[in-house]
Amino acid sequence: MWTLTETYEAKIEQLRKIIDKIEDGNTSLDESIKLYEQGAALIKQCETLLAGAEIKITTLSRDA
Amino acid sequence: MDWFNTPDEPADGKAALMSVSELSALIGGLLDDPRVQDIRVKGEVTNYKHHGRGHRYFSLSEKGGGATAAVIKCVMWRSDADRLAFSPAEGMEVVVSGSVTVYAPHGAYQLQVKKMEKAGLGEKYLLVEQWKKELAAEGLFAAERKRPLPCFPARVGVVTSETGAVIHDIRNVIGRRYPIEIIISPTAVQGEEAHREIAAAIRRLAGRVDVLIVARGGGSFEDLFPFNHPDVVRAITQSPVPVVSAIGHEVDITLADLAADLRAPTPSAAAELVVPDRAVLLLQLQELQRQMNASLLGRVAWARDEVTGLRDRLRPQRFLRKLDERKTATADLGDRLDRGLQSRLGRERLILKELKTALESRSPLAVLARGYCVAEKDGVVVRGTGMVAEGDRLKLRMHDGSSRVIVERVDLDGNV
Repeated sequence: MWTLTETYEAKIEQLRKIIDKIEDGNTSLDESIKLYEQGAALIKQCETLLAGAEIKITTLSRDA
Repeated sequence: MDWFNTPDEPADGKAALMSVSELSALIGGLLDDPRVQDIRVKGEVTNYKHHGRGHRYFSLSEKGGGATAAVIKCVMWRSDADRLAFSPAEGMEVVVSGSVTVYAPHGAYQLQVKKMEKAGLGEKYLLVEQWKKELAAEGLFAAERKRPLPCFPARVGVVTSETGAVIHDIRNVIGRRYPIEIIISPTAVQGEEAHREIAAAIRRLAGRVDVLIVARGGGSFEDLFPFNHPDVVRAITQSPVPVVSAIGHEVDITLADLAADLRAPTPSAAAELVVPDRAVLLLQLQELQRQMNASLLGRVAWARDEVTGLRDRLRPQRFLRKLDERKTATADLGDRLDRGLQSRLGRERLILKELKTALESRSPLAVLARGYCVAEKDGVVVRGTGMVAEGDRLKLRMHDGSSRVIVERVDLDGNV
């Protein structure tokens, strides 16, 4: 029900975590590269979400 | 009438003669009395005329016992009328401020009105002040109550009139910045019952939206009055989601504005506050991308440094020493192999020499050297007398050459 924007926020949050992990010296190079790939996919998804957002207008009934 | 006296001379016992303009000026002077200057007068608007040039002409009347008890003509010049917060209408009870003046060309005195407000407004101001005190005492305007707006709302509720510029502006801004779902909860925004409708419209949105805007275009204090009502203030503070208010112009602060979690100067500004800007989000996304690239490159560079460090630690010490040890061992082995091979070769050469001597001692040439010779007939060695006959040509092979002979006679030894 709350798809678009909650997803966007969650993805951005995930992206920040990925960057932190890549920067963390304890993450192996192999894992860093995998994380990078995940991050790149997230960015793509976010761009798609932003590009695809559409306005929708509903008017409530006054008697409700 | 006295036909003979000059006009200038006062006749005996009679008042001095004056011109109309002199009288008019005298009356004007009398009306400079502070009791009729900068005064406030309450009355009912009658004979209201909105002149083409923007001036307003009307009368203020006071009824007494069913009939009109008193009337005063009024004029409000355009420069003052432009500041009117409402449109005066026939029969409206108003309070005007102004001064009494004389208009000589019409021979009339009139009230020149500077300001006009609806009667009863003063009471309304007092009422708002009282509500403000009471609601503030309940803590409904407290700063601690203010909630932060969600960063990424999925649905925005808008409490306003269905028609008019407000909803249009909000829709435009949200459509441009970050198009999402807008749920309009329509309500009257002015009038006697408006406060109930507004409060109900706010409550109707509960559970349907992430944030809501309560908005109204500019208007007079009276127009905005419903937004001061405690019903509206309570509905705002009881909203489960944050409320942004944009009521009237920026200078008009209603109690609803004080109760809202955030106050915007205009409906468009309210819309900007509730949704993020898509263009900014895209920039932010690009920044995250750049940051991620940099962090991976950093990580790779770090790994490379690590490898270089390890290689440096490995190379000069143990590794080189080990390599030297191996090299020495290999060289030793080579030497041993060489030596072994050489001695073996020497032995073999010796054996070969002995064999050669032995072989030479058995050579037919050695026999020939001792004085023997071999006879051959047609390349075949003659082994007995049976193989030759008189007149045969033979070849005698000696140790240093050969000769050709002819057989004279063949003698077979008797004892053979």
